[in-house]
Amino acid sequence: MTVKVEVIEGGVPHTKIMIAGLVSTLVCLYLTYLNVLTNTEMFAFFGGLAVVSALIWGSHTIKVLCSYGIGTGVPSAGMIAFGSGVMAMLLATKFGMAAPLVALVLAAVIGFILGYISNNILNMKIPAMVQALTEMAVVGALTLMGFAALITGGFTFAGLTTGSVSMLGMTVSSNQISFIGGGLIAVAFLLGAIAIQHPFNACLGPGWKQDRMLMLTAECGFLSMIVAAIMSFALISAGSAIISLVVAIVGWAYAYNQYICLSKRDAAAWLDAKPIPEMEGH
Amino acid sequence: MTAVAAKPQAGGAMNPTAMAVGVVMLLIILALCWYVSPGLGLMALIGVTIGGILIGFGTHFIPVGGAPAAMGQAPGIATGVAMLAAGAGLAGLFGGAWAAEQGQVVAIVTGGVGGGLMMAITCMMVNFVYVFGMGIPSASGKVAKDPITGDTQAEFKSQGTEGHGLPFVSFVGGVTGGFLGGAGGTLIYLQLLRLYEAKLPALMGIPATQVMPIAVAAAGMFAVGLFLVNAVLTAYNITGTIEGPHDPKFKRWPRSIVASAVASALCGFVAILIVAL
Repeated sequence: MTVKVEVIEGGVPHTKIMIAGLVSTLVCLYLTYLNVLTNTEMFAFFGGLAVVSALIWGSHTIKVLCSYGIGTGVPSAGMIAFGSGVMAMLLATKFGMAAPLVALVLAAVIGFILGYISNNILNMKIPAMVQALTEMAVVGALTLMGFAALITGGFTFAGLTTGSVSMLGMTVSSNQISFIGGGLIAVAFLLGAIAIQHPFNACLGPGWKQDRMLMLTAECGFLSMIVAAIMSFALISAGSAIISLVVAIVGWAYAYNQYICLSKRDAAAWLDAKPIPEMEGH
Repeated sequence: MTAVAAKPQAGGAMNPTAMAVGVVMLLIILALCWYVSPGLGLMALIGVTIGGILIGFGTHFIPVGGAPAAMGQAPGIATGVAMLAAGAGLAGLFGGAWAAEQGQVVAIVTGGVGGGLMMAITCMMVNFVYVFGMGIPSASGKVAKDPITGDTQAEFKSQGTEGHGLPFVSFVGGVTGGFLGGAGGTLIYLQLLRLYEAKLPALMGIPATQVMPIAVAAAGMFAVGLFLVNAVLTAYNITGTIEGPHDPKFKRWPRSIVASAVASALCGFVAILIVAL
């Protein structure tokens, strides 16, 4: 038996956040498919929005899991989410159009088995463990797929492993210049893993407020999206990458602003202190 | 509303039914793998599973102190299990991947040495900080005498603490754990790399020289993912802090072996399906 340390008081219930996060992530992922239909790369930024909504859902799941005091630190939850998610995501990309749904099912299966392992074989006996690890694996897989869509404009295995390089006016197909072959997936992995574990790690404690933590998640998500949008200049056309970058910067500025407002609201008192004035004569 | 009394009460008890279910799951996954990809795929999966077990077992040796160690109130390195295991294992994995072309044994030993070296440097610098920075001697709280050197511990232990610093046995445990973790991570990487090098050219319809970046990146990514899964599962097994091989919590390793075997087989099977489907 474990003692639950924090109870969710007020705020949006977890089920609602889970459903909203799942639906908006899947919708945003499928909206990147407009790239194929319209034969452009303009809609890649929807991948970044999928990342942000999946991360918001995931950070709340981490809150539900880590409220039980699992004794291993909050970052470990983010690591297992992406460690199990990357497997499901890479296999799912082989299914073309159905990739997001396959990633969802596959990650849920992997997460469920990992949850069973930790709860029963490792004897953790935490009520939320199985559901939380299932959700975490799904979040990890969908976040990575969102990054893939943002950086390459698509989420199929062929699109992620082949790129083209222009040399002296000739376009040569290359496997090195691609999401997987170029190792961009490793950067996306850690961008997501850090963004998912940081918000609860930073906001936990007696003064935890749901809206403040979720706003910090959005801020971290958009910050990761800025970096990913810059990386996407290598793989998609400059115009599309600029659209992604502008969306990311606007979203980040809004979320950051809101987060500062919420922090000021929750702080006991805050003082707009000036730097220590320099006295003359010493 | 506080996190102070939040220690999980999981304890060291085994759950025989769940262990049996775990072994059955492992056999089912192996059978499925034999069905979809006999030969190369099955060999790779067995290698991945052994690598996962090495990681899970090795993580138990690493002296993890957590937040109490940062305040000098418990022995060990002042961070979480997952972070330390990932640091040591990934350092080893990079070392081993660099030596991948020189044959399996050389690469695995290189990976192990890389992980062990990383842990040796970490342990030494941690002790420097403890002894010269914080001014505390190394003393274990779990045993009366150091099992290796035979030094008594009680005289050096401050009252009200569980011991502090890194005793010699913890240092040795850290290096051993880093060696096992690095070797396990490299073994996983090598198995997947060999499989992808053999199967991807036909699957993608491109020459073998072109497929190298994809094979290396995919195998590396899967090795990192598997490493993190195994490290976190072991962290769940230890729940918090461990001093090293002399700690009573070390006796929980059989649970972790089964858990790591099932998790690695499952994740490895997914990695093999990429080229088998």
